[in-house]
Amino acid sequence: MKKAAPFRRSFAAALAGLLLGAAAWAPAARAEELVFLSTQLRPIESAQKMRTQILAGAPVPTNFVTEQPPQLGVHVRAEAQAGKPVSSLIGGLHGELLPLAGTRNLAPLDDVLGSLTNRQINPAMLEAGKLGGSQQLYIPWMQATYIMVANKQALPFLPAGADINALTYEQLAQWAGNIQEKTGKRLLGFPAGPTGLMPRFFEGYLYPSFTGGVVRSFRSPDAERMWTQFRDLWKFVNPNSTNYGFMQEPLLSGDVWIAFDHVARLMDALSRKPDDFVAFPAPAGPKGRGWMPVVAGLSIANGAPAAAEAAKLIEYLTRPAVQIETLKAVAFFPVVQVEMSVDLDPGLRLAADAVAKMGAAPDSLVSALPIGLDQRGGEFDKLFMDTFQRVVLRGEPPRAVLDRQGEAMKRIIADTKAACWAPDARSDGPCPVE
Amino acid sequence: MTPVWRRGLLWCGVAVLCAWTLVPIYLLALGAFGGREIVSQWPKPFLPLGLSLDTVGAFLAIDGVWRATWVSVQAAAMCMVLALLLGVPAGYALARFRFAGAGSYRLLILMTRAFPVAILALPLTVSFINLGLYDTPFGVALLHAVLAVPFATLVCASLFQGIPAELEEAAWVFGCSRFTGFLRVVLPLALPGIAAASIFAFVLSWNEVFAASVLTVRHRTLTAYLLSVLSESPLHVQFAGGLILIVPSVLFIFLVRRRLFAMWGIGNR
Repeated sequence: MKKAAPFRRSFAAALAGLLLGAAAWAPAARAEELVFLSTQLRPIESAQKMRTQILAGAPVPTNFVTEQPPQLGVHVRAEAQAGKPVSSLIGGLHGELLPLAGTRNLAPLDDVLGSLTNRQINPAMLEAGKLGGSQQLYIPWMQATYIMVANKQALPFLPAGADINALTYEQLAQWAGNIQEKTGKRLLGFPAGPTGLMPRFFEGYLYPSFTGGVVRSFRSPDAERMWTQFRDLWKFVNPNSTNYGFMQEPLLSGDVWIAFDHVARLMDALSRKPDDFVAFPAPAGPKGRGWMPVVAGLSIANGAPAAAEAAKLIEYLTRPAVQIETLKAVAFFPVVQVEMSVDLDPGLRLAADAVAKMGAAPDSLVSALPIGLDQRGGEFDKLFMDTFQRVVLRGEPPRAVLDRQGEAMKRIIADTKAACWAPDARSDGPCPVE
Repeated sequence: MTPVWRRGLLWCGVAVLCAWTLVPIYLLALGAFGGREIVSQWPKPFLPLGLSLDTVGAFLAIDGVWRATWVSVQAAAMCMVLALLLGVPAGYALARFRFAGAGSYRLLILMTRAFPVAILALPLTVSFINLGLYDTPFGVALLHAVLAVPFATLVCASLFQGIPAELEEAAWVFGCSRFTGFLRVVLPLALPGIAAASIFAFVLSWNEVFAASVLTVRHRTLTAYLLSVLSESPLHVQFAGGLILIVPSVLFIFLVRRRLFAMWGIGNR
């Protein structure tokens, strides 16, 4: 065992060093910076650009900390309960900030809003920032949405008479069918992998387009027809779709010619090969062109250690120039009126045009992200993925599956008492599954 | 079978085993160093044509990555020490002494793993803030140690059971006390297993995300800071992150490899 001695000694020395180092490190925290907790811009590259480009010009030193949505609430509530808040500014989606307002963790921002001059914030989003109350609880920060992107090689296969900017789901199926017929490959793609955002496609695009609702019409006859039609369309979808997370990769590799995804998850393909791709609005169904704008807002935590600095940061982030900077860096769109004629890179221009067309479409039907489900949001998403798996992938009859999943949805809504959100008609009390 | 045949078979086996571990690592490295293009290419060129350090470099240049790595190393080391400090004596007690409730103690210690951290998160965080442990590597290490202790205890218990008590008794005959007997006779024999338990504690702390991100804000561990969002990043970044993720584990196993090999019966080679 002689060999062991030097090993053990060096090992022990290393450990002791580490522990001493840790002890020396802990109290020497860096100068007090404002802590900006955000569920947005989580992907590494976006967070990096936020830190090095956008926040570099900020009026206050800021520590930008990204957070998974379920942990955001834990942090903010725990810090408030213990009476020693660390985080000041909170950035999150409407649906993530709403539960924090319910537990009175967000400070009213009417004064901050009053001091924001020289910018026109989208009035509808501003109204939503009151979270149903009378005081402003978040100020819109940036927005994004989902669009479609196609490889230019796919364009010759468009069905006769179809306008790519006003497609219907039927035409999309024909288009993908034509491609399969001529090339022998299934080249339509969806982000239905474990990290993909497929549930949003069902909640914000397919369901609203076919049934005009999400919760109320979940198991309606319209929904039954919709699932049957979507199952037929799936015959032209690349089977690898159930592994895709970000559609930019299969688009770039040519595994997929037509894809649906979040703008930020398509941006890499568009900006690297803007000449190879076109971007266009999502298709329409019988009830309209369902689409889901995603608005992120900025809130200040109640009792924040740096509330005044956080207000300054809100002022900074909503400046038109910074909003454009944000668009260029991380592909999230402005929420204040800006001069869009600025020199955007060609890929970003493609995406911006597609988003504008979707909003301006005559049959445009705006859907909100699920609201008021708090911690159960993941379960709600899973419900759609389960239905998709059973109906589309396993070929079970839609009626039986919808009835069963409808019961599960009723339970989630009953537990959370969530009221209906757009495009479902308003409800007094929990949203009914009709 | 002729010896030539046997040799051939042996080398085949060796080659298959090597390929089994090395090919995935090679592909990971190819993705990390080959740049953006190679990741979405198929079939992949087996030899990298354009080697570039861009992705890995960019990954390592991310703001705060080294700070987070340092926090991770501290937390993992402290977690390991705590787990061993509690697990080794507890395991020894389970192996050598008959005491009332030994069986239920064994079961109870596993129960700590039965409570999902997600449910405890809010009250836990509140009490950590009140205790001043919030946002410190020590706080994270403490919680990770709770998760690692059961395994360390049970591994050590079976380890000590495997070492004949006669050896210890012989040490007492020659003048050792219970403690020095343990230190000089039992511990050296148990070292390989303890090394394995410590690897487990280290890796557990290194990989744990939820507790680490709930209990910290400014001082995040590497996993909570970066690697938890890896799955939401483009593929080439994932490759770079994956490669960096396996480095500490490989390094640590390399450090204690002799102990491990000793346990597997091919000592000191």
